[in-house]
Amino acid sequence: MASSAAAGRRLLLLRHHHLLPRRYISSSSAADSLDDGGGGGRLKIFDRDLKRRHRDRAAWAMRETDGFVDAVAENLLDRLEDCRKAFPSALCLGGSAGPVRRLLRGRGGIEKLIMMDMSADMVRKWRESENATDDGPESHFVVGDEEFLPIKESSQDLIISCLGLHWTNDLPGAMIQCRLALKPDGLFLAAILGGETLKELRIACTIAQMEREGGISPRMSPLAQVRDAGNLLTRAGFTLPGVDVDQYTVKYNSALELVEHLRAMGETNALFQRNPVLKRDTALATAAIYQSMFGLEDGSIPATFQVIYMTGWREHPSQQKAKRRGSATISFSDIQKQFAPSEN
Amino acid sequence: MRRTASMLFSHAGAGHRGIPQALADVLVCPLSKKPLRYCEASGCLVSEAVGVSFPIEDGIPCLVPKDGKLLEDNSEKSEQEPIPRDSSG
Repeated sequence: MASSAAAGRRLLLLRHHHLLPRRYISSSSAADSLDDGGGGGRLKIFDRDLKRRHRDRAAWAMRETDGFVDAVAENLLDRLEDCRKAFPSALCLGGSAGPVRRLLRGRGGIEKLIMMDMSADMVRKWRESENATDDGPESHFVVGDEEFLPIKESSQDLIISCLGLHWTNDLPGAMIQCRLALKPDGLFLAAILGGETLKELRIACTIAQMEREGGISPRMSPLAQVRDAGNLLTRAGFTLPGVDVDQYTVKYNSALELVEHLRAMGETNALFQRNPVLKRDTALATAAIYQSMFGLEDGSIPATFQVIYMTGWREHPSQQKAKRRGSATISFSDIQKQFAPSEN
Repeated sequence: MRRTASMLFSHAGAGHRGIPQALADVLVCPLSKKPLRYCEASGCLVSEAVGVSFPIEDGIPCLVPKDGKLLEDNSEKSEQEPIPRDSSG
């Protein structure tokens, strides 16, 4: 457990190392900020204020239904049907909480749902749509930051986060806060975008920038890899962790349409180290390279979205556990003798 | 906390000022994770532990640390730092 946590920390550090100038990682402070669950976040990768404004914009740019987001929300909620337990009180964190609420349809036996997002406009929009439909569980709305979860300890049965947590600077810290907010035997369900996401755009951006500007700047955020997700869950102290990956390919008419979709989802670049200027020339070159490298026969372009689904529970005595090492009373050679006598 | 909750409850029916009891029960200060007090005069949620008040806008409590305001009578908190780090965690 301890060694896996240390390995996770090393991995995280390695992952951030090449992205950040030295001054951000001052000796041990980076490791410390990943460790403490509460007020960490000295390691700043994402501009949370900018992300908040992105989400304000997404609140009005959002489509009524979005095929990709709905598919992810549906997949996430499907997991509730696998549990025999009911979850009377649930917390739904930022990202695509709107579709989660819409697609819930009584699953998981949720009676009270708290919806939280960083953007006040987004929360207001959810409230309007909640008033319009007037079915589903009793809903409450809070403006809050996932990095500073304002939820009482051991108060929730279920925490869902659909496509939101990949924008947190301190993902382990945010997950630890989620675990603390859960009741014992409470369920944590999250979907985050994985490292394979938008690989086509990544390539096209890099080539266009090399070609037009003679160098590259980070246009895309670093995303978690699948192998990190398991470490994250164990690090955050969840029991019975489960990770699985799904890959979606969305087709667009052009690269500009893809960028419009990203804006509508509030998934545009929010790195601190971003280049605030995007030359028209470079943008058009990116679109052209995208089209020529990845374009399909029918003229559309595909974009890959990799979604990592994470499931974890807060520890509880009733959960199954592996036995202590060395606690077995029967030797394996005896078992072999018992069940396979014909081979000798 | 029970006093806070009852105070909030009395306001829940009265327009947009208070927040529902069910929500008030689970909300805590995002920095210190200590209970919040509802201030009737300003219509804010006050975290005594760190001396910060959080606004309630349109019936939606806003608990992002950046939106919180330092209480003026709390002179011992440094004014340069909007988020007191020591008390969190």
